[in-house]
Amino acid sequence: MRGDVTRKWTLLRHLNSKYRTYSTETGKWRQVIAEKNGSVNAFVHITPPQPIEDGPLAGIPIAIKDNIATAGSPTTCSSAMLQNFVSPFDATVVKLLRKAGADIIGKTNCDEFGMGSLNVHSVHGPVVNPFHSYSSGTTWLDREKRSAGGSSGGSAAAVAAGMCVAALGTDTGGSIRLPASYCGIVGFKPSYGLVSRWGVVSFADSLDCVAVMAANVSDAKRIFNFISVYDEKDPTAATDDVRQMASNSVQEGLHQLRRKTRTGTSLDGIRIGIPQEYFPSELSPTILGPVRRAILSLKSQGATIVPVTLPSTSYALSAYYVLASAEASSNLARYDGIQYGNRVVPPHGADLRKTSRIYAYTRSAGFGHEVQKRILLGTYALTADAFDNYFLQAQRVRQLVKNDFNSVFSIPDYYSPSSHAKDPLETTVDVLVHPSSIRTAPPLPTAKTDLNEDAGLDAYVQDVLTVPASLARLPALNVPIHDYTERKVQGQVDELDDGWPIGISVVGQWGTDELVLEVGEALEELRVSGG
Amino acid sequence: MTVLCRLRHCHLSTPTLCRRFHDARVYKEDKRWPGWQVVVGIETHAQIKSRRKLFSGEITDTLIPEPDEPPNKHVSPFDAAFPGTLPKLNSKCVDLAIRTALALKCDIQHRSSFDRKHYFYSDLPSGYQITQHYAPIALRGQLNIQMPNSSPFFVRIKQIQLEQDTAKSTFNPRKRTSNIDLNRAGAGLTEIVSEPDLRSPEEAGMYVRTLQAVLRAVGASDGNMEQGSLRCDVNVSVNRVGRRPGTRCEIKNLNSVKFMMAAITHEIIRQRAILESANDLDSCTVPQETRGFDENTFETYRLRSKEDAPDYRYMPDPNLGVLVLSQDRIRAIHDSLPELPWEIRDRLREMYALSERDIDVLLNVDSGREVKFDGEKDVDGSGALPMTHELLGQLSARKETFADNSLTSDHLGELIDLVQNGTITGTSGKYLLRYILANPSSLRPVQITQQLQLTSLSLFSSPGHSNPTSKTDQELNTLCQAAITALPNEVAAVRAGNKNVVNKIVGRVMRESRGRADAKGVKALVEELILGGGDKS
Repeated sequence: MRGDVTRKWTLLRHLNSKYRTYSTETGKWRQVIAEKNGSVNAFVHITPPQPIEDGPLAGIPIAIKDNIATAGSPTTCSSAMLQNFVSPFDATVVKLLRKAGADIIGKTNCDEFGMGSLNVHSVHGPVVNPFHSYSSGTTWLDREKRSAGGSSGGSAAAVAAGMCVAALGTDTGGSIRLPASYCGIVGFKPSYGLVSRWGVVSFADSLDCVAVMAANVSDAKRIFNFISVYDEKDPTAATDDVRQMASNSVQEGLHQLRRKTRTGTSLDGIRIGIPQEYFPSELSPTILGPVRRAILSLKSQGATIVPVTLPSTSYALSAYYVLASAEASSNLARYDGIQYGNRVVPPHGADLRKTSRIYAYTRSAGFGHEVQKRILLGTYALTADAFDNYFLQAQRVRQLVKNDFNSVFSIPDYYSPSSHAKDPLETTVDVLVHPSSIRTAPPLPTAKTDLNEDAGLDAYVQDVLTVPASLARLPALNVPIHDYTERKVQGQVDELDDGWPIGISVVGQWGTDELVLEVGEALEELRVSGG
Repeated sequence: MTVLCRLRHCHLSTPTLCRRFHDARVYKEDKRWPGWQVVVGIETHAQIKSRRKLFSGEITDTLIPEPDEPPNKHVSPFDAAFPGTLPKLNSKCVDLAIRTALALKCDIQHRSSFDRKHYFYSDLPSGYQITQHYAPIALRGQLNIQMPNSSPFFVRIKQIQLEQDTAKSTFNPRKRTSNIDLNRAGAGLTEIVSEPDLRSPEEAGMYVRTLQAVLRAVGASDGNMEQGSLRCDVNVSVNRVGRRPGTRCEIKNLNSVKFMMAAITHEIIRQRAILESANDLDSCTVPQETRGFDENTFETYRLRSKEDAPDYRYMPDPNLGVLVLSQDRIRAIHDSLPELPWEIRDRLREMYALSERDIDVLLNVDSGREVKFDGEKDVDGSGALPMTHELLGQLSARKETFADNSLTSDHLGELIDLVQNGTITGTSGKYLLRYILANPSSLRPVQITQQLQLTSLSLFSSPGHSNPTSKTDQELNTLCQAAITALPNEVAAVRAGNKNVVNKIVGRVMRESRGRADAKGVKALVEELILGGGDKS
């Protein structure tokens, strides 16, 4: 593993000297990558500098998670199965960014096919969180090695380390929000269906979302606006009239909000729900204090804080793993070593009578442990004997989770307006706010701790706060709250605070992405103004 | 989540273990196996006659007439299951499935959905086939079957579902390698599942032929078994009369009606032998199996037993969602549905009082000529039906029956082709038909055309005669010039702006050409000669 990283480091230095003559912006960003990537392992492929294209995003360096197809660069999904795979086409999101003039600067590391919470299940090796706690007294290179989160750990780390302005990732059950939280950046998972999935390598189609990572909300919003376009190639894409209707209902809400804020403080009039189930016993005290203080600040800015309950939350995680694994077992069936990707030739004398036996050699060698585990789980959930008790049961739980959200939101669900709460004014809320994760970034497994054992149930529990919004297809945003230095200045540091980034999540009804981003910006302002 | 309710409902309503049996048919003794009842049900896979595949937008290889089309030419990244590709439903395929469903009098479902059927095989790049397992597009239809010399009966259609075709894999035994051709991968199929309502190999054969005719008439499929655009899986069981139905065996992938009937016959004999050799008549059953058919020995052979039956792990496709069909869409397709075989039959019987045998011959001539890809009407193919009607008219005028008719269906077909490709005009075609009936000969219509000098004088409408200095064009030019010289007053009127008078000049040319000229072309030529200046001639 370490050898890989060193080789890449050398390669990068070589690339960097080769393109030193480009004294342009694009050269500058690649230089930062060359300096830092060896210690972060965020990028797994760097594109050569291109002449800057005209366009609203001209020259803006954007990194792409390695499970999003890019013509001309590999798309490995961090899997040995696709190690040499180059897609013949660009994903729609990549095409849109290129059209706007963006510099697609490289492909970022991730958990294999997006499955994982720590970005340690990667053929390219783990991503190391670039965060450096200044109080530690060490140099950046010798910083404490913690996880960047997963599965979009490479994208999060690339943004956090200043190697690009923004990055695209994918979020199936929290794969954007968790690493954003661990790395101290903004991660935005839009409503399902707003951003095209054409060219995104499917993990679980009914949950996968392309998502944006950036250093601040306004950058994330800007990139999101470029990629939030109806695409006829994606059969689950929201059509233009659906988008228009959702946007109209949000505009009404925002208009009201702004009218009120003219004289008052920035959040006057908005109702923010705090779901009690999102403060489980596993929630670290390190997180609890800062999140509580952030909520109090929101209140002091004029927001009405409403405790709400989402009773099906505790079942969401199990349902998520059944559904996501079932879909994964189906989507990953195509990796058989025949059409593309790596193939393992069966040994001499092997039983070749069944096709599945021949494929087994390729699939056993090409998929990592975590992926194999989920394929087996998903395959079981779809067998005739288990289908009712697992897959259908999980579908029912998914609906219960959705109903929970519908019962607390003031804006009705576009897709099932009839399920909307009866008394919107008294009991409902505009958005929900809760901690993004149950702890700060965990240490990376060392050589002593076996990777595979580490990825036991603990890693799954980490997803508990992010999975419900995925099941309900809702927009969800992670915003970092006060970093340690600020917290210290404010006198808000207690002895439990380890100084690592903490994220807070904003979740809204389907299609209220603008509102969620607006509240996110207000949260960000609190941080800047020290409110 | 409507998916949930739908799934639960369908799951419960699908009888998997108990096989309820209510026999709609009255038992009739068959001399070949007296005392035994044969029960047959058929699953038919018909390749949808669409220009494009079911989900990928790639063109289908059926579009290409040459059989030696290179392999793997019509393959989009989706067809090869490239990562990141997504399905997009081809609505033309849906429309054609609706046509089939209407023709088979099915309940068309306003909401249906797609499921993935999983298995590993080299002809299935994605590892699953998208089909309609839980909620098919149409349910509960029927097809009326007419056997010779007996009263018609109905075969109930259980369901119709849309699904993807697989790739074609061929095994090279010498090199011990499999070759995969993805041209067919992802093409649209309609699977038509019958209830077990057939009682003999002959009935099964007639069912498939009748279905074939329906599919061709509505343009849903070419229905060509030899070329693989229609394939059958047959379920066969036998039981002693009065006892409960036997255990069925499925015979896969039968690609001709002849083979299908032979497979059923062999299967009846095989199953009967198992049951007759048993000591305990009551508890003995045929082992449930999936079987293949050997085209050389005309016997079925075991592919896999029930224990080896794969679990397909059906999963609702998370990309395609619910296929919603509005009543308006179904009605529009209903209203534009081409005439069905039995409707044509009724019309021919009523209008011309023909025998069933004559009608069969005519339907044969007519089949598959009128509907093009994606259900489009064949605008050029207007020749076939008028010509058969002309034939009927001529026969009745000559007081001859269709059976007396000296014109073979091949020759009639050629005659129709001559009209359709513009070699002769419709008028000449009718003349030629009368001539052949009055002067029976073994000469082919194309030879008689040359003998009688009936080749069209068309200058503008015939694609085969683009050379403006050809002999026929010169002749037509001469005829037009002669008419212009013969009718100076009319020419003056045309020059003065009275355009309708052109028709009188055209009429003279048409008479002089003995119907060999095309009126539209003549009109344009005459106008050019009178008004457009003579420089071009």
